[in-house]
Formats: sequence, structure tokens, C-alpha cells
Amino acid sequence: MSAIATPLLNPTRTTKVVVAVLVIGLFLLPVPVLADVELGGINTSLLFSFTQMFMLVTLTSNWNLTSGMMGYVDFGHPVFFGLGAYGTGIMMNKLAWSFPTALLVGVVAAGVFAVLIGMPTLRLRGPYFSIAMLGTFVAMREIVRVSKPLTGGGEGLTLPPYLNRPLFYYLTLTLAVGVVSLMWWIRRSQFGSTLIAIREDEVGAEMRGVPTTLHKIAAFALAGTLSGIVGGLWAYQNTFIDPDVVFFEPRVVELVMMGILGGLGTVAGPVIGAATLFWLRDVLWANFLQFHLLLQGVLLILLVLYAPTGILGFFGVRGIPRLSRLLRRGTDDTTDPPGAARAHAPADGGST
Amino acid sequence: MDQFTQAIINGVMLGGFYGAMVLGFSVIWGVMGVINLAHGEFIMVGAYLTWVLHTELGMEPFLAIVVIAPVMFVAGYLIQRALVNPLIERPHLMSLLVMFGVAIILSNSAKLLFSATPRIVTTAASGFWRVGDVTVPVTKTYILITGLLIMVGLHVFLQRSRLGKAIRAAAQNKEAARIVGIDIDKVYALTFALCIAITGVAGMLISPTQAIFPFMGPPLTLKAFAITALAGLGSIHGALLGGLLLGLIEVFIGTYVSGIGTNLGIVASFVILVVVLITRPTGLFGGLRPSEDGS
Repeated sequence: MSAIATPLLNPTRTTKVVVAVLVIGLFLLPVPVLADVELGGINTSLLFSFTQMFMLVTLTSNWNLTSGMMGYVDFGHPVFFGLGAYGTGIMMNKLAWSFPTALLVGVVAAGVFAVLIGMPTLRLRGPYFSIAMLGTFVAMREIVRVSKPLTGGGEGLTLPPYLNRPLFYYLTLTLAVGVVSLMWWIRRSQFGSTLIAIREDEVGAEMRGVPTTLHKIAAFALAGTLSGIVGGLWAYQNTFIDPDVVFFEPRVVELVMMGILGGLGTVAGPVIGAATLFWLRDVLWANFLQFHLLLQGVLLILLVLYAPTGILGFFGVRGIPRLSRLLRRGTDDTTDPPGAARAHAPADGGST
Repeated sequence: MDQFTQAIINGVMLGGFYGAMVLGFSVIWGVMGVINLAHGEFIMVGAYLTWVLHTELGMEPFLAIVVIAPVMFVAGYLIQRALVNPLIERPHLMSLLVMFGVAIILSNSAKLLFSATPRIVTTAASGFWRVGDVTVPVTKTYILITGLLIMVGLHVFLQRSRLGKAIRAAAQNKEAARIVGIDIDKVYALTFALCIAITGVAGMLISPTQAIFPFMGPPLTLKAFAITALAGLGSIHGALLGGLLLGLIEVFIGTYVSGIGTNLGIVASFVILVVVLITRPTGLFGGLRPSEDGS
């Protein structure tokens, strides 16, 4: 642990103070903004922007738990966001439940689904896991689309509108602070060390007696559950959900990019990556509305080729798994058959 | 019974297309170990090329192949040299992410150039043949024939030609191939170019049967992945059989599950994908590469 200790992992007093000031600042910031709500205009939308950013910070942190720390790069993580959104939406629309109870249903749905889908897919390795999760994401969108009596199909569902931006600001900020603190704690805990051991050498960890399957499913379920909360909040805030806005494909790219941009497998990385890309995108959006996804694609290629350790890596933070080290087992050499996908193949350990 | 026969015919026709559609994806993966996540987007580019040639020059879609194949070949060669070649010795995740980026760039460029409006291509080879109570669509028959021709052509090319043999050698053992004097970089670049050309032609083949729009790619990529998992990397007869299987499954779900069946095709491919990856990781039919599983 100490070998890969970073200033952010064992923060100095200064770092702690800076982070505390930032968090308290974010909690106090809306007070002057609140006063301007009646005027409408820019300030309200700034509050809204911050809310979106907190959601992305939370989602990216959750994605990073399985993808960065554990090394199972998930191309379908927004599926849990979607289940949270739909669970909440269905309960509020069809049964007129109140938001907190409906949210609970959505979150439980996301968590249970994470366990169920994790059991088969987490047996796959490297790119096979990534693509299987991408498949889960695309398939879930179609399942939601055809389950018309429940989900409203392509026409979507409307939730009772509740236009209270400050409330959503505080809810998402609290959630983001909570999740990032949780990740920080996990990173220092036995559980986190086990996840990193799985990433670095899963077979080795298993041979040392670590129940790897249990840890993998636990981390996956935790990430899924937390992203389900974000989905429920998003649905309530947006007041309308349909398969295409909830299971929005660019969101997959966004999470992957934010994670890599900040620095994979670190606690601060997702926060820095999500915040940077969010505001960068807001600037791009303002100026090149129609080009912004195109530029995002270019940025992704440049990042992967030239800066795989992200912003934190650029500033010399160590302990970030290089992309080239992630998924090593799936990529022993170029003669890599799909056989590497088998979880416990006898040839697995010695094939390097 | 007629409904059943009709479903078989439609399934075979769809399957023939899938078999041709998956070849490029499967061979690139089998030969150079790169998973082309932009596969569906290259199909989309081929379909838009067909649409442009058809509406601007009034060209018959099936004849447009003579333009599409060389154009896509050159594009594929350039993309391989610029982006793919540096990634071949690197882990899968990097090529996966870079091809993801290429996919985003292609689909959003298509949206900028052609807008999101779905486009339709019509061909002179349209109409139906009636055999008893069963109808055989003419267009899809031509698509099936073209698809089969591509598969046979690729098979003969890989088995008989010098370059084809070099490609197979590079897939089986890169170092040995290099020792006997095969220019691996060149072989890889030509393989990629050839595969993109075939994929572009698959885009032409899909263009008369469904609407063309910028974001049609991802489901096709996923289906290609499912068929490849089923078929084994770079296996041509496996691609045909896997394609037929998926085509038949899709059509049967569409025929017998009323109303919602047509949307479930992608769900079926996903289920096949996960089940096959877990139970038969080397695919059902073997492939370009020697099986290394459990040996």
C-alpha cells in the first residue's frame, strides 16, 4: 500500500483543508444563487449545471470502482443508472408512490440486477466483459422499449413535476460527497486492497485464498446500487423518461472518458475527470453545438494514445494502472483466443 | 405451415446477410487481435455511400459495389496505418477504446453531413416471387447471392492466393511468419483494408432493406460480436452458420412473438453472446487460429 501511496491517498494537512474548504464552499455557494432564483436566467441554470456535474462525478466514481480499481472495464455501467431511473419512474407514475419509496425500489432493482448480471459476466475477462456489458446496456434499452404496459415503451413515462432546483443541488452534492468519501475509505480498506489485487493478478489472489468471485460481485453490486440512486434522482429531476434519453449511448463514452481523463483507479481521478470534462463540454457545447460529440471522439483517441494515465498521471501521481497494464490477462499476446475469456481455464495461469 | 416456411426463407436471407456482414469484423480480430468496435459504423458509411451514389448519380445500388469496395479499401488502409497499427502489440483495451472513438467520429460526422433523417435506397431488383403461398423477396435474394459470393471469394482468396496464405500465416504464428519473410505490417494493413472493403459492401447490402441513419451502427457491431463468438475468429463457414442461426432466431422471434418480437433480435444476440462466451469460449466452429483453449 505504501509503495503506491499518493498525496491524495494519504492527504497532507493542506490537501485536507483545501478539500474541506471546497466542499463547504459548494454547500454555501447556492445561498446567493438562491436569492436570484426568482429572477430566473443564468443563475438557475448554473445551479442545474452543478447538479448535473455532481451526478457525473458520482457515476464516474462508481464506474471507477469496478473499472479502475478492480480492472473490469465496464462499457455498460449506465444500465444501472437506467434501472434506477425506471424503477423510480414506474413506481411514481403507475402507483403514485412518493419519491423516497419509489427511489428505494429503483435502487434495489439496480442492485439486484447488478448481482444477477454480474454472476455470468464477471466470469468473462478483459474485452469480453466490456463487450458483454455493452450488450447488456443495449439489450436493456430494447427490453424497456418493448415492456410497454410497465415502462410506457418508446413514449416514455412522465413523473410528477417537482421544480426545486436547490433541493436537487443539495441531494446530488451530498450524494457525491458521500460516494467519494466511501471510495476513499474503500481505497484504504482491506476490501479496496483486495480489488486492486484482483486487478493486478486475479489468479494469484485466488491462490492466496481470496474469495475473488465474492469480492467482484460485491464491488459490482455496490457500484450498481449507487448509480441506481443517481438514476432515480435524475428521473425525478427530469420529470420525463424514455428509453433513448435514459439509456443514452454517449453516456457510456462519457463515463469511460471522464474516468481515464482524471486517472483510473484513483479516488480523486473521477472527480477531476468528470468536473474537467463537464465544464469543457459546456464550453464546447456553447460554441460548437453540433461538433461536440465529434470532438469527444477525437479527444478519446488522443487520451488513449498519448495520455493514458490522465490528469493525475500528468501531475506525477503514482499508482494509476496504465491502460496497458489493465486487462493484461485478456491480452497475453497477440495470439489471444477467446479461450482467455474462460474464468478458470487450466491454461489461464501459465499462458503469459 | 406457410408461416413457418416463410419464416425459414426470411431467416435464411437475413442470415446470409449476417454471414457477409460479420466477415470483416471476424477476420480483423482473428488476424491482428483487434476488436473493431467501429464495425457497425463502417457498415453505416457503406450504406451512406450507396445512398449518395444512388441519389446523386442514379446508380443502381448493387452496381455501386464497384465504387464502394475500392473507396473503403483505401480508407481502411489509411485508418490501419494511422490508428490501428500502433495498437496491435498493445492490450485490447487500447484498441477497443480507440475504435470506440473512431465509431463516435464516424457516426457524428454522418450526422453532420447527412442529418439524422433516415434515408432509403431503392433498387431496380425489387418485387416478389410467389411460390405457392410463400413469397420470396427479389432484393433479399440478390443480397443473399452477393453475400454468398463474397464468402466464397474470401475463402478462395485466403486458401489459394499468396497474400491469402500470408494472412493465414500471420494469424497462426506471427513470429514464424516474420521469420519466413512475410512483411507483417504490410499484411496487416492489407487485411484491414480488405476487411473494411467487405464491410462497406455489407453496408450496400443492408441499404435496400432498412432505413439508413447515423446511429445504426452499435446494434450491428453487437450482432457481429455475437456471431463471431459463435463462429470462432476468422472462420468463414462459421460466420455463415452463425449468421444463419442468428438470422433464423431473429425472424422466428419476430414472427411468433406478436408485436414486440422485432425489437428482441438484439436481446437474442446478447443472450447468445454471453451464453457462448461462458460455455464455449472458442466458438462452435473453430477459426483461423489454432485452438489454444485448455491445451
